[in-house]
Amino acid sequence: MANDTRVAAHQIAGKDGQAAPDQPWIFRTYAGHSSAKASNELYRANLSKGQTGLSIAFDLATQCGYDSDDRIARPEVGKVGVPINSLDDFHVLFEGIPLEQMNTSMTINGTAMWLLALYVALARERGVDTKKLTGTTQNDLIKEYLARGTYIFPPEHSLRIIAEMYEFCLHEMPDWNASNICSYHLQEAGATPVQELSFALVNAIGLLDLLKERGRFNADEFDRAVGRISFFVNAGIRFIEEMCKMRAFSELWDEITRERYGVQNPKYRRFRYGVQVNSLGLTEAQPENNAWRILIEALGVTLSRNARCRALQLPAWNEALSLPRPWDQQWSLRLQQILAYETDLLEYPDLFDGNPAIESKVAGLKRDAMQEVQRILELGGVRAAIESGYMKSALVRSMSQRMRAINNGERVVVGMNKWTEGLPSPLVAGADGGLFKIEARDVAETLASLERTRKQRDEGRARAALERLQKAARSGESMMEPSIECALARVTTGEWAKALRGVFGEYRPATGIDGQKLGLENDRVDRLRRRIDGLIGKLGHRPRLLVGKPGLDGHSNGAEVIAVSARHVGFDVIYSGIRLSAEEIVSAAVEENVDLIGASVLSGSHLELAEQIMNGLREHGVADRIRVVFGGIIPAGDMAALKQIGVRKVFTPADYSLIDIMESVVAVIEEGIR
Amino acid sequence: MSTASPIDHALIDRAQAGDKAALSQLVSLFEDQREAAIAQRAEVLAQLSARPKRQPARMIGFTGTPGSGKSSLLACIALELLRTQPELTFAILAIDPSSHVSGGSLLGDRTRMRVPPSERRVFIRSQASATELGGLGPWSFQVCRLLSHCVDCVFVETVGIGQSEADIRHLADRVYLVLQPLAGDEVQFLKAGIMEIPSAFVLNKCDDPSAERSYHHLRGSLGLARPWDADSIPIYRCSARSGAGIAELTQGVMHDIAQHGGAELVSKEPYFFERWVRDEWGRVGTRVLDAALGGASAYLERSHGFEAAQATFGGHVREQLQSQDPTRSQHTR
Repeated sequence: MANDTRVAAHQIAGKDGQAAPDQPWIFRTYAGHSSAKASNELYRANLSKGQTGLSIAFDLATQCGYDSDDRIARPEVGKVGVPINSLDDFHVLFEGIPLEQMNTSMTINGTAMWLLALYVALARERGVDTKKLTGTTQNDLIKEYLARGTYIFPPEHSLRIIAEMYEFCLHEMPDWNASNICSYHLQEAGATPVQELSFALVNAIGLLDLLKERGRFNADEFDRAVGRISFFVNAGIRFIEEMCKMRAFSELWDEITRERYGVQNPKYRRFRYGVQVNSLGLTEAQPENNAWRILIEALGVTLSRNARCRALQLPAWNEALSLPRPWDQQWSLRLQQILAYETDLLEYPDLFDGNPAIESKVAGLKRDAMQEVQRILELGGVRAAIESGYMKSALVRSMSQRMRAINNGERVVVGMNKWTEGLPSPLVAGADGGLFKIEARDVAETLASLERTRKQRDEGRARAALERLQKAARSGESMMEPSIECALARVTTGEWAKALRGVFGEYRPATGIDGQKLGLENDRVDRLRRRIDGLIGKLGHRPRLLVGKPGLDGHSNGAEVIAVSARHVGFDVIYSGIRLSAEEIVSAAVEENVDLIGASVLSGSHLELAEQIMNGLREHGVADRIRVVFGGIIPAGDMAALKQIGVRKVFTPADYSLIDIMESVVAVIEEGIR
Repeated sequence: MSTASPIDHALIDRAQAGDKAALSQLVSLFEDQREAAIAQRAEVLAQLSARPKRQPARMIGFTGTPGSGKSSLLACIALELLRTQPELTFAILAIDPSSHVSGGSLLGDRTRMRVPPSERRVFIRSQASATELGGLGPWSFQVCRLLSHCVDCVFVETVGIGQSEADIRHLADRVYLVLQPLAGDEVQFLKAGIMEIPSAFVLNKCDDPSAERSYHHLRGSLGLARPWDADSIPIYRCSARSGAGIAELTQGVMHDIAQHGGAELVSKEPYFFERWVRDEWGRVGTRVLDAALGGASAYLERSHGFEAAQATFGGHVREQLQSQDPTRSQHTR
């Protein structure tokens, strides 16, 4: 970083001492859908357009450890990512893509060890040296418990899996990031910059403490392991503060690794991070505005050279509406290319060093973040803060503060709570409405491939591999090699996860529904409470509402805010939690004899799930009594279909006013009485 | 269910046979706050009582401080019972507090109780405590009277108790008090009189390092709180998280269920009738019940049943008020 004397202060010295621009960051597009074959085609197309790394999105069944033909998985297959059932699918997914030249990032957590094992097995069958593999398995379970929801095992066992992957990678795949400490999802769940900083750092500290405690590394290996820690960070619309956050991250990480772990080599203390810019702030209203938001957010993580990201993923303008189409992704990629290749951004050294405003802001963030880090360490560290619900409650509180600020107009969101009148957007005027839909044909293909794998494999070898895996899980031996053997033996994703569920059990976390402040104290709340009290005389009981999340997506915060709001206005709310099959929702609604089911679905499976729920209610003979509303990311084009199925009301991100939502829920119940 | 429709025999048949929609509908009738529901309840109970006698369900209470893990423990016990007792049917009535501001509630116990949806042997129902303070809701007793005819055992999980009196001892045949390690100093428990209620203790989260010390503290304070049976009262040590000790606890529960001959719920009616009177009619009602009607037991006997007594009680109150002072005919509700 020190500038050579032969270049001016506004220039960067290249390898030969001459002024030369920086290499750009890695351009990625988070992608994957439908089937291994369709995703492979997409990746190859993206690579030919100049994308320089792969970022693989897996479907929820794969992320949660279920085979595609599992009942709970069926509605989700291929929806938010690619379904992977076995090594055979991986061969298809990477066909024609040279692994040794690829930087592959996999957004995978609960089943990260399994997907890494598949990748290693693929390399072995192709004869590629695993030492040449580069990439990342996201593998951050802490943020799964807090925000994203695709955890499987309890914290203790999840952390052991992560540690074993670090231990394996350090020797076998030295350029692989065994995990990525993610603050990205915390911001999506409402985290403030200070919370993003402190929770991510305390998470990394928990991981390094664990690696140290396990004692499988000598001092040199441990330092190298510290050097392998990388982060996945969010960048929101307040882009100056976000840039300062990145600078604070870099400085704090350097300090922590030096002071707490005594790492001498500055190379191993570098804060390495990738970014996906904010999706939470993207709006369904006037969706074209999101293009500008994405651009501004990208600036926050690229402007300051000393805190520039190493890899960048941008969402697409229509993310609040549906999954992006290939064209939408290309448009986002072009933004990165313009920024890196057309502008002069990469020719300058850091532009903000020595700026007093920036330095003061960074110092404030650092101070507040370290205070919070200290508090959590005193509470017993990251695991204790997860299990006690401390971190979750803090996030839910921040999210409800954010909602309140948007609700009362304190926080301006253009096109949503201000300047809402606009001309119709031509971007959504095409035949597809600017939306993306996957075809059922691909599901059949995935299921057929799974069946083929099961039929053709050596059953004895598969059984033996699973037994060995369970044995390792029980004895404390590393599960990595046994998992690779499972992969080679054509064990399926569901079988791998089931074997370990059998040993470790399944985790149900603290919900964080306590401690929310909704900011709904006003006349409308009082009026609504009286309306609800009035219903008691007509129904015989206080109205009962079941809030639950059918399907596998684990973004529970929206559902939790609804549950708390409903209690606040006077409902008896049965909160049934996440990752439920439609049958479980129906069964709970029947036993509780609720008046209304509110189902939250973000994964795109709303049509299938609505169908299953309505059928279930009919089977129990209660479809006339228990009414159903849906909330989530639901394209306008599906509204009519949902109503047809029997869903009374559909809420989308455009319905952000909680009191409006509550009033229409009450209206749905009142209609049922008449 | 609609207000005054006659009770359908088939509905009761279905409820007794384990049809959840039917049983659930009946439970709602037993929670129904409208006047007309009283007569319907009486009819349902009359029909149930006229049927071939089955053992009344055992009532088992689970109580404990907030956060001690009652729901998680009950979930473990439920799964263990399903696994080991193919013939047993049971219900779980989980009570959570209501907000005093909005009257609403958030009943989250189901998140911890995951039972296969097709499982007909267990019925789980959440209830709000409304404004009650004793750990049960205003309708908990009534619902138990119904469930008593439909399953072999009813588990009642109360609102986390602290300082308030525990109603559960008036309802349950056996009460389990769930504690967590270092749940505060034992003096709190002595003061609140909570230690005298349970028939067994469960020390949850026993994988916590402080659990051993807590166990000895508990043993020690039992010697002070209830010297008459301190040595024989069971203390189960378990962990809902790791599953340790669940099998033993479940065996203990099964032993309780198998020991028939517990008092039938009818013997508990006077207490809950008094409570109902207090809720509905306030101090005036209590005075009328005690002074004019000779107390709950006598009045219930004269009225031929709980519902009949409820249906006629209002008349007595109005009568009394008018005879005392015709200008002041308000009642406190």
